[in-house]
Amino acid sequence: MRKVKGLLLIGIIISILITNFVVITAAELTAEEIIYQRDNNEYFDSVKIEAEMIIVSGGRKITKTMVALSDKKNSLVEFTNPQDRGTKFLKREDDLWMFFPDAEGIVKISGHMLNQGMMGSDFSYQDIMESDKLTDLYDFKIIGEEEIDSRPCYVLEGVARESVKVSYYRRVSWIDKERFIGLQEELYAQSGKLLKETKVKEVQEIEGRWIPVDSVMENKLRKDTYTGFKIVQIDFNPEIPEGTFSLQNLR
Amino acid sequence: MKKYFSIAILFIILFLLGSISISAKVDIGGELAASLISIIDNEGDIFAYPQESLDLELFLPAFNNTQAKFEIYLYNNPLSGGFDYLLKKLYLKHKFEKFHLTIGRQPISWSFSSMLNPVDFSLGAMVMDEETGAKYQDAIEGYMPLNWNTSISVVAALPENSQDIKWGLRGRTVIEGYDLTLNYVQESEQEVAGIFIPTSRRIGFTGKGDLGPLGVYGSLGYYFKANENGDFLYQIGSDYSYFFEAGNKVYLQLEYLSMKQENLSSVLGPYFSGNITNNLDNQIGLLLGLVNYEINEFSQVSLMAISSLNDGSMIIIPGYHNQLSNNLSFDLNIAIYSGKKGTLFGSNVLEGTQQIPEGMIEVGLTYSF
Repeated sequence: MRKVKGLLLIGIIISILITNFVVITAAELTAEEIIYQRDNNEYFDSVKIEAEMIIVSGGRKITKTMVALSDKKNSLVEFTNPQDRGTKFLKREDDLWMFFPDAEGIVKISGHMLNQGMMGSDFSYQDIMESDKLTDLYDFKIIGEEEIDSRPCYVLEGVARESVKVSYYRRVSWIDKERFIGLQEELYAQSGKLLKETKVKEVQEIEGRWIPVDSVMENKLRKDTYTGFKIVQIDFNPEIPEGTFSLQNLR
Repeated sequence: MKKYFSIAILFIILFLLGSISISAKVDIGGELAASLISIIDNEGDIFAYPQESLDLELFLPAFNNTQAKFEIYLYNNPLSGGFDYLLKKLYLKHKFEKFHLTIGRQPISWSFSSMLNPVDFSLGAMVMDEETGAKYQDAIEGYMPLNWNTSISVVAALPENSQDIKWGLRGRTVIEGYDLTLNYVQESEQEVAGIFIPTSRRIGFTGKGDLGPLGVYGSLGYYFKANENGDFLYQIGSDYSYFFEAGNKVYLQLEYLSMKQENLSSVLGPYFSGNITNNLDNQIGLLLGLVNYEINEFSQVSLMAISSLNDGSMIIIPGYHNQLSNNLSFDLNIAIYSGKKGTLFGSNVLEGTQQIPEGMIEVGLTYSF
């Protein structure tokens, strides 16, 4: 669940430690270790999120609300705003299923749809529902150090590993040195074209973890358009009943 | 029998409502729609009328693995001049440990992404991506999941136009990423809009998956006949999406259906039954296409078409959708019927049957709440 993960860039373990010690220690980290830290922080056994997706384009704004449940491999999203109420998506591995509340029918969604904007947003289904660790998908290297909103960050470049299916061939991430949160990220196509840019607007410490609760994804191919993602409620490691990520549970 | 069936369900729901604690959350939602429909007849005259509808749904919390649903569709009927209704949902579903049981008015949909579904539980329930209301059935459904993607369901329905029980059996599984279903339906003769649909037993197989960058799907059906060989049908389709440099997306879908002429009225619905005459070839080939282009996050244009390859007649359906705000959307849909007299989608039909116009324009607003 890359999107949810993307919103859960956490630097929790380090934040408990003495700041100076962390900075000194982090400065010696390799790219793999930094991403590993980030992956460890954002990678939960399971998570439940209530969120708002705010789609803005040309001065017009539409808000969609959802409840998302995810474990290590699977995701289930249910929309709760009036227009889409009851619409559900289930992602198992690379397969995406959709439940239509009116017909109460379940249809397998074609694979090419995974890279498309979810419910009209700039987040793709893959962004929202992917749950693989970044370290399993990309090879990273440090390409610099910069400040984002006065916070020192590592700048890392990740290139997709061979024979791995990813939505973005290359990604450049600004990772907070102290909290190991990705504060900004640029997502590129294989052609080198910048496709999307994400920025974290607000971070909160929840249950001892640093959580980006408000972030924005901008589709760089379009003008005057972006999608905000706000976490309203988050529960770490909720109890997930057996059969939650199944077709029968969509009904 | 059906009347008592619904009344019994209504009492059960009222009982359930009464037993839910006051603090439990009960919500009402739905859609309010208003549109203006203009019909251009085959003499060029335009007849316009307003159409208003209210889709009302009651959202009830689940209660000890039991779920109740109620949804009703109210609309002004241009034929009667008054308001009419379609009861969409009035059912109870209980999730037992090994199976789910649903009793009452419920949608039975066996769709698999195609624009026409010749092997659905109710033929003609979905035509050109538009629902006809036929999928809502008074029924009992037993659904037994075997694992996360494999299930067997049994349906016993009481169709409105028949006194006999309609049976359905469906198995579903996923193999190598392909969603596969095998289904069987048995229904008695019924009359729909003055058209007699004969006793039918049919078996259908569907598949849906990916072939490289393409989504692919298909169906294979066999309609049994009493004293002769039955009729085979087959359907293949594919979908694809393409991103332009500017970030806009176009979605394409193409579908081909081949089936016997005499079975067409069931699949296309009664609206076209007047055009299905002996003038048509025995084996009909239908080609359907859909192009959908996203202008931006809120608006899109589409073009859908269905054509009979036998006689070249077709319906072209351009559309425009704009999400004006969180809850308000605007839609413009046009249907253009093209074909000579006696063709499948031509605007001229035989006397005594429902007239197909030359064109239709619908413009409207929908408010979701």
